[in-house]
Amino acid sequence: MKLRQFQAIGLILVLALVGHVASVRADDLDIPEQVPVSPAMREVLRVIHAAGTYDIPDLPLRQDETYTTSPDLVPFRHVEPHIRFFLEQMEYTGPGRGKPEPEHVDTVKIGFLGPIEPTVSVATGGVSHAEYLGVKMLQGAKLAIEHANDAGGYFRRNVPFELVVRNDNGLWGSSGEEIIDMAYREKVWAILGSIDGANSHIAIRVALRIEIPMMGTGNTDPTLMETNIPWVMRCSGDDRRMGYLLVDYMYRKLDLRRVGIIRASNRFGRFGIREVIDGSRRLGRPIVIEMAYPLGAKDVSLELDRIAAANVDAVVHWGDAADGARILNQMRARGMNQPFFANDRCATDAFVEIAGENAEGVICGFPWNPDRECPKLDAFRTAFRERFNEEPETQAAHAYDGMNMLIWATQVAGLNRAKIRDALAFRTEPWPGVTGDIPFSAVLDDAGEVYLAKFENGRWRYYSRQDLEIPETMAGLPDTAIEVGVSVRHP
Amino acid sequence: MSVMKLLRLRWSTRWAASLTLAAVCAMAVPVRSIADDGADASADAATAAGPVTEEITDQHLPFVYTEWEHFTTADGLPHDHIFTVKADGNRVWVGTDNGLACYDKRTGTFQSWKEEDGLPWRVVTALDVDPKTGDLWIGLFGGGLARYSAGRFDHFTQLNSGLVNDVVYGVAVENNHIWAATTAGASRYNLVTRNWEIFTEKNAPMEEIWNYGVSYNDGMVYLAVWGSGVLEFDVSTERWNMYLPTDGEMEINLYRDDGIVHVITTGTSYVDKILWISTYFGASRYDGRHWRGYYAHETGLPNDFIPSVKGRSANEAWFATDQGVGAVVDYPTDTWVTYTRNPVTQRGQAVIQRGERVLKTVELERCLPHNFCNWVEFDGDDVWVATSKGLARGRGTGYFPRLKAEPSLDRDLVVGADAAPSVISD
Repeated sequence: MKLRQFQAIGLILVLALVGHVASVRADDLDIPEQVPVSPAMREVLRVIHAAGTYDIPDLPLRQDETYTTSPDLVPFRHVEPHIRFFLEQMEYTGPGRGKPEPEHVDTVKIGFLGPIEPTVSVATGGVSHAEYLGVKMLQGAKLAIEHANDAGGYFRRNVPFELVVRNDNGLWGSSGEEIIDMAYREKVWAILGSIDGANSHIAIRVALRIEIPMMGTGNTDPTLMETNIPWVMRCSGDDRRMGYLLVDYMYRKLDLRRVGIIRASNRFGRFGIREVIDGSRRLGRPIVIEMAYPLGAKDVSLELDRIAAANVDAVVHWGDAADGARILNQMRARGMNQPFFANDRCATDAFVEIAGENAEGVICGFPWNPDRECPKLDAFRTAFRERFNEEPETQAAHAYDGMNMLIWATQVAGLNRAKIRDALAFRTEPWPGVTGDIPFSAVLDDAGEVYLAKFENGRWRYYSRQDLEIPETMAGLPDTAIEVGVSVRHP
Repeated sequence: MSVMKLLRLRWSTRWAASLTLAAVCAMAVPVRSIADDGADASADAATAAGPVTEEITDQHLPFVYTEWEHFTTADGLPHDHIFTVKADGNRVWVGTDNGLACYDKRTGTFQSWKEEDGLPWRVVTALDVDPKTGDLWIGLFGGGLARYSAGRFDHFTQLNSGLVNDVVYGVAVENNHIWAATTAGASRYNLVTRNWEIFTEKNAPMEEIWNYGVSYNDGMVYLAVWGSGVLEFDVSTERWNMYLPTDGEMEINLYRDDGIVHVITTGTSYVDKILWISTYFGASRYDGRHWRGYYAHETGLPNDFIPSVKGRSANEAWFATDQGVGAVVDYPTDTWVTYTRNPVTQRGQAVIQRGERVLKTVELERCLPHNFCNWVEFDGDDVWVATSKGLARGRGTGYFPRLKAEPSLDRDLVVGADAAPSVISD
């Protein structure tokens, strides 16, 4: 996706020079010197701080040229649609910027919503299954809060940040009630969460009505950001972008012809795989079979019978790590040696523990590159090990980034939910996270690069689109169709 | 130039000049010949157009609300963030972010209830009145459902009743039933048997269960379901029908008039056999056979982000958007009136459009208290608008439906001396 949002920087500076921006002088912004703010962002903040009850900050909106990574993947690409959505940033036009800050606070509260305790989830398929992810997410969020407090807390009031933690119990949509409780009773200034797609949708609808910023860090559901809610942001790549990379790799690079799908029979599986299905069809290689399995299924022979009968070149799995590993093992046990692709939840140690040697060669979409050399990432890993006595994984890393973004926005915007939202929505540079640079798209989603994780020689390795040398188009590919039964070992 | 584009110009001087020029040019151009009886809004609802009797020109204009009153906490409202309003005879019920209020039209005063007054929860997002009993049904955002009757609040939650979830977005009275649209499904309470029914993906065609709005009229219940389009429940047969976008895509609408414009729906209003629908991606009208989509770039909708809709007839519906109110006032001619507040001057403006073409601009001393609108309610010829910063009443003195040839707008431009621009302090 090509973005133009940062072209706005120059325009903002010009506006500042000619005096169109607010009357607040730079010194009046009261931004603590410990908080990194670029000159361009300072001008943006000046406009934001000047906005009141009836104002909308007169700032350029992010504009994206397309909502996909490739023209081939645009839906109905041979027809010009009546209207395209998600290409221009949503504005918040309400009166929230005029709300005065509270006179006194003991702490600056930020909410956390995630699946950290076992529960029963009606909305997500009946059984609780995401606590192992939610606990990691909470660890990352906690660490960010602790680091902020170690550095002095909320500088404007000289008080600490406080994390208000709520379990994302999927039973009967209780995530919405947790958001309400945090917003009205706890009076948090922003919320981070959650993981489950259905629960997150409930939460963001509530956040919209309450008017509170919500940062998604662990939910890869593409539709979360396709709701036009100006209060919601996400700092990780989603299933849409990872799915498109998988599709490009399978067809443009490997020239696979017949791909089958086995996915979890829940909302996560149903929506996550959709971009793979759509992308396959749009590239002229429609999925030949799609089978759904119940969460935690021990025996998927029925589903694999059908997939084997469809004579597929490769299998794509979308679901949790344990389910994916068991399916892979059952495939290999019955002689199905097709390449095995999967979603990011399978690119984990938990998957490898169950899959054993069968994990070799498995390729998953992945939202970032944990192998990249980055002092900030190294420091995060060291701190995480010291704090929790374990290695951080993807949920922890993204939560650390997301919480740091909320903390930064609160430091520069002050105790006003609308202005905290504005600071992130109009941020002039990508956020320099431990997971990499995070540039926002027009829908305030992470538009940064996504990767493929491949298990090679006993460890996961991460490949960018450039590393994989994926051709730009389908045309001109040599006829290198993979023989059934031959595993793809190298990108 | 559409109103949305105009708003992007932030009410600059150039903006005003452009409007004036557009209005002058447009007045000289005749439009297509379309039926107009000028009076009967309910005639031939299915087709929404009678026989061709008169050539519609730019001189045929709709009624414009020019007299607006504002109500805030200074007038007795418990909070300025207004989510919903329900007119009931001489009473007007108001749901706010922190309390319930009732406006007495005879005395011009508010009575209000907060939690300390017995209101079970502070955030009131939905209201409806049972016409048989006069009971008020209250949707509480995170607090369940309440009934206000005989000076007492009865409280229904997901722990003490069959309410599926306590986050209630919409309430509707249907005969002896109370419908509640919640964030995790819909509930229906039978006032006679006291039985509850729950509707989710298990027993209704909900792709998602995130109900956003519910309305009832003329034997039909409509649920606006976030992510699942609109669900229709025929009370006589108890059968469901489902309306989804035909292209199945989130990021585009392939054809404007082939179905509901988007799956993220927010509200419905069924009147004169016409279903009006609001979404966060535009609006729709459905007559049982034909669809019509509406977008801001080609109509008088101030923006495509539309929290709710209220239909007045087959030909008129008001859309509450986050940048003002857009009212399609004559469906056959696609004539709109758009009401906005100038955030700089605090004055108001009503723009009459036919499609995207501006016919006339009426400057108002006062219009909406804020452009972020959440709800519209009709009260006879008057109209109430709930905004995120105050409540407004538009006086409908002399109201006429659809269009009239050369109505006297000059009288509308004259407003009372006391109608000064209002700025609501925090």
